[in-house]
This record gives sequence, structure tokens and C-alpha cells, in this order.
Amino acid sequence: MSRKMLNDGEVNQTNEDDAHYDFDLFVIGAGSGGVRASRFSANFGAKVGICELPFHPISSEVVGGVGGTCVIRGCVPKKILVYGASFGGEIEDARNYGWEVNEKVDFNWKKLLQKKTDEIVRLNGIYKRLLANAGVKLFEGEGKIVGPNEVEVIQLDGTKLSYSAKHILIATGSRAHRISIPGQELAITSDEALSLEEFPKHAVVLGGGYIAVEFASIWRGLGATVDLCFRKELPLRGFDDEMRAVVARNLEGRGVNLHPRTNLTKLEKTEDGKIKATTDHGEDLIADVVLFATGRVPNTKRLNLEAAGVELDEAGAVKVDEYSRTNIPSIWAVGDVTNRMNLTPVALMEGTFFANTVFNGKPSKPDYRDVPYAVFSIPPLSVVGLSEEQAIEQAHGDILVFTSTFNPMKNTVSGSRDSSVCSRPIR
Amino acid sequence: MASSLTSPKLTTTISSSPALQTLFFRKNLPLSFSNPFLSLPKTLTSVPNRYRRSLSHHHYSRGFVAAASADSDNGADLSRQYDFDLFTIGAGSGGVRASRFASNFGASVAICELPFSTISSETTGGVGGTCVLRGCVPKKLMVYASKYSHEFEESNGFGWKYDNEPTHDWSTLMANKNAELQRLTGIYKNILKNSGVTLIEGRGKVGQCKKIVDPHTVDVDGRRYSARHILISVGGRPFIPEIPGSQYVIDSDAALDLPSKPTKIAIVGGGYIALEFAGIFNGLKSDVHVFIRQKKVLRGFDEEIRDFVSEQMSVRGIEFHTEESPQAILKSADGSLSLKTSKGTVEGFSHIMFATGRRPNTRNLGLEEVGVKLNKNGAIEVDEYSRTSVPSIWAVGDVTDRLNLTPVALMEGGALAKTLFQNEPTKPVYRAVPSAVFCQPPIGQVGLTEEQAIQEYGDIDVFTANFRPLKATLSGLPDRVFMKLILSAKTQKVVGLHMCGEDSPEIVQGFAVAVKAGLTKADFDATVGVHPTASEEFVTMRTPTRKIRKDPSSEGKTDSETKAAAGV
Repeated sequence: MSRKMLNDGEVNQTNEDDAHYDFDLFVIGAGSGGVRASRFSANFGAKVGICELPFHPISSEVVGGVGGTCVIRGCVPKKILVYGASFGGEIEDARNYGWEVNEKVDFNWKKLLQKKTDEIVRLNGIYKRLLANAGVKLFEGEGKIVGPNEVEVIQLDGTKLSYSAKHILIATGSRAHRISIPGQELAITSDEALSLEEFPKHAVVLGGGYIAVEFASIWRGLGATVDLCFRKELPLRGFDDEMRAVVARNLEGRGVNLHPRTNLTKLEKTEDGKIKATTDHGEDLIADVVLFATGRVPNTKRLNLEAAGVELDEAGAVKVDEYSRTNIPSIWAVGDVTNRMNLTPVALMEGTFFANTVFNGKPSKPDYRDVPYAVFSIPPLSVVGLSEEQAIEQAHGDILVFTSTFNPMKNTVSGSRDSSVCSRPIR
Repeated sequence: MASSLTSPKLTTTISSSPALQTLFFRKNLPLSFSNPFLSLPKTLTSVPNRYRRSLSHHHYSRGFVAAASADSDNGADLSRQYDFDLFTIGAGSGGVRASRFASNFGASVAICELPFSTISSETTGGVGGTCVLRGCVPKKLMVYASKYSHEFEESNGFGWKYDNEPTHDWSTLMANKNAELQRLTGIYKNILKNSGVTLIEGRGKVGQCKKIVDPHTVDVDGRRYSARHILISVGGRPFIPEIPGSQYVIDSDAALDLPSKPTKIAIVGGGYIALEFAGIFNGLKSDVHVFIRQKKVLRGFDEEIRDFVSEQMSVRGIEFHTEESPQAILKSADGSLSLKTSKGTVEGFSHIMFATGRRPNTRNLGLEEVGVKLNKNGAIEVDEYSRTSVPSIWAVGDVTDRLNLTPVALMEGGALAKTLFQNEPTKPVYRAVPSAVFCQPPIGQVGLTEEQAIQEYGDIDVFTANFRPLKATLSGLPDRVFMKLILSAKTQKVVGLHMCGEDSPEIVQGFAVAVKAGLTKADFDATVGVHPTASEEFVTMRTPTRKIRKDPSSEGKTDSETKAAAGV
């Protein structure tokens, strides 16, 4: 496709059937939702273009990469680190099963990081091939909306490409949010945490959500001292209260220092290059690394959505209907940028249903009921359906709760103190 | 004097007779009322069900026993008094479950079991049975122990390094394993006690320890007990064919309790027990050789799973000798063993283990004399309600050789308790029973194999996934995962689900609910995956690997439907 200049005539085209568009679909963002929507739409016969920022493990306004958050700085590298960290506990347990292992087993952080990077680069390549195999045209650069049927891609060298598209799909995902306290520039987010040069011997994690809990588990599993600070009584707000308590207990059992009802008020650099984090209880924590796992926000700032009149909600997420359509009929959005259920398989579902709706003549709404998911703390938590609190709230009648708390067989010999809990609220 | 006896619960024993029942609940009932239990302490005369637990500390005397054994009526005489409503022989999975539940339903129950030993025999066993003492539990602990060597290897790829390669101390494992078994057998005894079940431990003696005298009487070490119903749940034991040198052979009981680790072991057998032990000893760094009569291991399992698991096990260093039948075992001067097979002789084994099947423990129970029919394997023949050919005698668990799994024995025992004591005749259901093989990598399965599905449904669609899991891409090890869905082409119901790879047993348990519920491929596809996991593959299989059509003429009609349903 050759470079094209903006043409007023084409923008004002009203008869969709007669209009000649460069693409049937142009997707901004090649992450889970964007790639899925592109491939499936192309499979249904659509001519599809997609743009994505150049690859880099640490994202910013100008770098990202095909594969998106999940592949490059989310699910995949996270799981790799969880695997790496889990071995620590396993090696401990092995002793009670008769294994004689050195008192102190060495861990090479740089090796793990390198392996992780190799893997995400490999996956990044695979995603590019997936797009190519589906006949989707990939552009590297920053995408912006120009009008209801017009996009612009700013390439690395600054040149702009303009394309017309019958439909535009916004799938730019989200980015880590940093709280603004004095010294916040000393803190890192999950992006950096997944690519740290040096292993932090002492880490302070601020946040109570799954990202905070996962990183606390990862670093602790690899031997770091970890302080986890969160605002509520328990981490994982929104999850079943009983399960939150179990997770907290297990974290403590593994040696994570929990600081409930605690916030950080400022960060300062110390003389020996560490960071002093001050809590709102007046306590000072000295750490090599301070991680802000304080939420993620949709990437909508630089899209120029105002130009087309696309509405956002208060959080900055793109507002969409049940079919993932924005208030502009030709503009759609899927994935974290819409802030519905921020999970890769859900973005995949939204992308699939979008393709079916728009290019397969089968309007279908993604179903958010009973979506299972997991928190990869060590040990992990998995969920499907309602929490007990939600069940009580939503039930038309009484609910029954069945729980099972036990010491799994493996731990009876290993001596590990994790507890396993299953909980089943039934309506 | 028998140990830990508890007295029978009088009210329930006589509960069938309304007149007597009324009388016993009257407060001023004199002790001397025509009461065969005259010699009992006062507290027992007016005892409603809720006092059952307090009876556990009383012993009853010989006099009582003699009076109770007078009856030898074969019929279902409701006015007759029995010592117990139910007498169970064998305190394993099935027996304990049936006894506990029966007791909770108000029955008076006694159970007898041989004294504890890690090795089973005519005179030794233990409360908890095979599962707890010589099967599932110790097996799983050994599997856990043996998996670590693979984990140490994997961890290298994740940055872990060991100055010295970890070594394994066998005696630590045995000691910890045995401590766990002692703990569990104690728990089972408490479970029985807390349910008010009388536990009678038969003392080990060569010859019979327990025997059915007549359809309502059991003899335990010379003591006789009468019961309205008798339940036989004596389980099974390893079978070793008699060939020259078989005295040098160990079975699974012994393998779980060896004094030292085998350096080089021959395992004869191709079933799940052989494979699980092969994985265990291989993981603990023994040199393992598996000898099977067939071409492939795990006869009866899905063909693709059979191929996949042996390939993965070979890659981990286990050597398979296929189509070889054992003929003799020879012991050499240095103490090592050789195995002579139909194809030659392999030498240098420190141990030779036969995992060549298990047989029901039906010898010396007095079954033939009392008229209980056995099949040619020695298993007790039962109907759908677990009733034997004798109306008052029932059997559950491995002794009936139906589906030899603990949860199935639990199901059979539970169903029997309902049938007998809840007035709810209940048949155990054997459809879609999931199971696992804890070899390494393990297998999980539920429903039909592809071969069985073709037999039953004719037209089927098969979806498979064979991939390198994320962990392996980093560890660099050749581990792979194989997953398979089998659908009835016509209904699109998932009739078979198979997996071989890490965590298969845990994963298949969840999906077994879906298969049992008769869910379709569309239901699976509508279920969002959990990411990143291996199990999400089961809900994201888009393209059928193959479609089997028995009748070519059905091809045209169903083709477009199946294509649409497959979501291509």
C-alpha cells in the first residue's frame, strides 16, 4: 500500500457501499485484542491494516511492540518469573522428601531475565508472523484517529501515513499508573520490574491488587525481603473476602511482610543509593526497589479521539456498547482500553466477537458471565463466578457455602505451611 | 480379648420391632426384662442414638456373645435380633465409607480389619486399606519425592544453580512416608470411632482370621458376630505369576517400603502401577527398565496417549522392552538378579518388580460355603446395587473388580449405605468416571478413548493439541503436553477428554464435571480461558484434527454442520 495524502472528498463519502477505503478495518494496537480482531476479520475476507509502536520491554508513549502487554510485559514474562521464583520453595520442600541440597542454592537473576527476554522476543516474532499469515498489513508507528473513517500513522522517522478505513478498531490497551507522591520518579512500575538489571535484595511494593501480590511473591520466592503495603485490611479488593484472607496468610507464611492500611507518603534517595520509603504510619522502609503497582490506565491520551468525537468515561477508557462499538458508528474498541474485564482471554473474546459482528454478518455480544481467572501469587488463587459477598447481594434467595480447608498431601511431608482453600457459594 | 471393642447399639438393633422399641424407651424399664444383654453395664439399657459415642469405652463380655450367636436363620427375619445391622469385613476405602455412612443413617455397624503392615498378606492389612497404606497415598508421596530431580533440572533454565548436584537419601523418604501413613491410619480409626462404628482388629494368625459362617454370621478369630447385612470389602492384592525365581521378585507393597533404593530395577508390567513405579525410581535416579508383553504400555487407554506417554518417559531415560514375556529370574553369586525373557536375558538388576495385576482377596473367607458366587478371576459377583448372590451379603470395592479406584469404592460404599439404611435404593453410576496415572509426565482422562467412541458413536470429531509448555521453552527440556477432545459428531457432546503432561490429573478433575454433565464443544468454546495456563487449550481448540465417519453416506449431510460447529 503506497503512501496516501488525506483527501477531503473521500472523508465526506456518505454512501458506504460505493466508498473506496484503503482498508475495511484499521486497528490501532497489536496486542491481544487487536491481533485477534485483525486476524479473524482478515479470515472473514476483510482487508486489514494494523499499526503498533516499535518493540521494547518497557512501554511508553512511543514504544510498545506487537504482542502487546500480555506477551511483552504482562502475562507471559510474569508467568516466567513466577516459575523461576517457585523453584525456591520447591527446593526447600525437597529436603523433607530426602533430597540433600546445598544450604544455599545460588540464583542467577541475569540468566532468568535473559531467558525471559529471549522468550518475549520469540513470541513477538510469532505474533508478527501470525499477522502476516492472515494477510494483515502491519505498520510500525504511532496511530491516531483523524476522523470517523480516517487514521494516521506516524512512523519512526517522523513521516506520516494516512489511511481511510471503513471501520477503525482501537486496541491500545493500558499502562501502569504511577501515584504522584514526592520522589515518585524513584519508583518503578511493573514494566521495569519485569526487566530489572539487578535483583532487588529488598523490595517495597505499594498496591493491593493482583500485580502487587504477584510481584511480592516473585521477589520473595527468589529470596528478597519484601514489604507489601496496601490501603485496605487485606489485599485483592473485590475478591471473595475469605480467599483474600487465605492469600494474605499464605504470603505471610512465605515471609512477605504485610503492611495493611498503609500508604506511602514520600520516597527519598539515601546516601548509599537505596530508596527510603516513608509510610503514612511514619515508618521508614529502606529498599533497593520500590514498585508502584497502583493500577493501570487506558492508553487514550494521544489517540486524538476528540477529532472524531469518540466518548471516554471518567477513567479515560473508551466507552463502548455491548458490541464493542463506540458512539461513532465506524469506530470500535476492544481490550484494556475499554476497561471492561482486563484479561487477555477476554480481549480475545471481544476481538473475536467484533470480527463476527462486523465482518461475518453475525452480530454477537461477548459474554462476561462466569469468566475464570487467576492470580499467580505463590501459591496461586483461581476464581470463577461470584464471590460470597456478590452472591449474597445478587441472590434472589438464600445461598449455601461449601468450603474445604486443608493441608495438601505434599505439604504433610514437606512441612510447608501453605493452606489450600476451596470455596463454593451456591445460589 | 479383642481390642477397642464398642458395644452394640441396642435401640437400632431392635428398631425393627415396634413393640420392643417402645418398651426400651420407657424410663422405668427394669434391667431384668427378658434381655439377652443382661451382663451389660446399666448405662446401656436405655440408650437413644445420640449416646452411641459414649459406648465406645465399654467392652462386652463373652456371655453376651454366646447369646447373640444362637441364631442362624438365613432369611430376612425382621423380628430377629442381630448384634449389628451391618458387619463389614475390610476397613479400606469402600468398607469405611459404607460403614461410616450407614452408622450416620442410624445403623449399628461393626467393621473388622487385619492388623497394620506396609506389606499385605493373609494376616496383615490395616485400617485405611490399600489406598491409604499401600496404594494411592504412599504412591503419591513417592511421586512427589521423585519429581524433584526433574524440577532441579528445570530450575537450571530459570537461573538456579547448584554447587553440587542434589542427591537423594532413601531412608529419609521412607521414614517420613511411614510417619505419614501412621498418622493417616490413626485418622481413619478416629473417623470410625467418631461415627460410632465398632472396630474389631483381627489378630494375625496363619489360616483364617475372618470368615463368613452363614449369611448372617461372621467369625473373627473365633469370636462370632451376627449381622442383618454383611459387607465384604476386602480389596485386592498384587498378583505375581509363578515362574522360576519368582521368590526374588518384589511387588508394589514391597516397592513402597524398600530398605534401600534400587540401583538398577526391572519392572515387569505395562499397566498404571508399572509406569508409576518406573517414574518414581527413574526420578530417584535408579536405572529403570520396563518389560511389557504387549507392543505398547497402558492397554485400554487412548492410543495416542499410550504413544505419547512412552515417548515422554523414554526421553526421561526409562528403557522399554516391548513384546517381551518374563520366563525366569536368576540370582547370581554377587547377589544381582537377571531377568530371562522371551527375547533374551538382561542382567545386573538390584531389584526385579512385577506389576502384573491384582487379584481380589476372596480366599479363605468362607464364601463358597455360604453360597457367594465368584467370577473366574476370584472377584465377587454383584448386581447393580452391590448385592451378591446371597441376599444378606453385599460387596464393594476392588473385591468386586468393577472399576478399581478409591473414589469408585467410596461411591459404591455410599450408595450401599443409602440402599440399606436410607430406604433409597441407589446404584453407583460408572459413566464418565475420571482417573489418572501418576507416571511422569502424568495422565488424566475422563470418558471414552477414541477407539471406544468410534465403537459407540460411529461418527466422531477429534481435536488434539501437542505442544511445548511455556516452562519447557525456558528450561530447555524436551517436555511436551498432549491434550485431546473427542466429540460425538452428531450431538457435538464431549464424550472423551484426555491429557498427558504436568498437572493433568488436577486439570482433568475440573473438566470431568463438564463431561459428566454432557456439555458440548460449543459450551467448552464459550468458556473463557485462564491465561497463561496449559488447561486453557481445552477451551480454545478451533480446528478438528480429524473427523471419523463410519458411514460414508453420512458425510454429505453432516459435513457443513460439523464444519460450522467446529468454528472454522
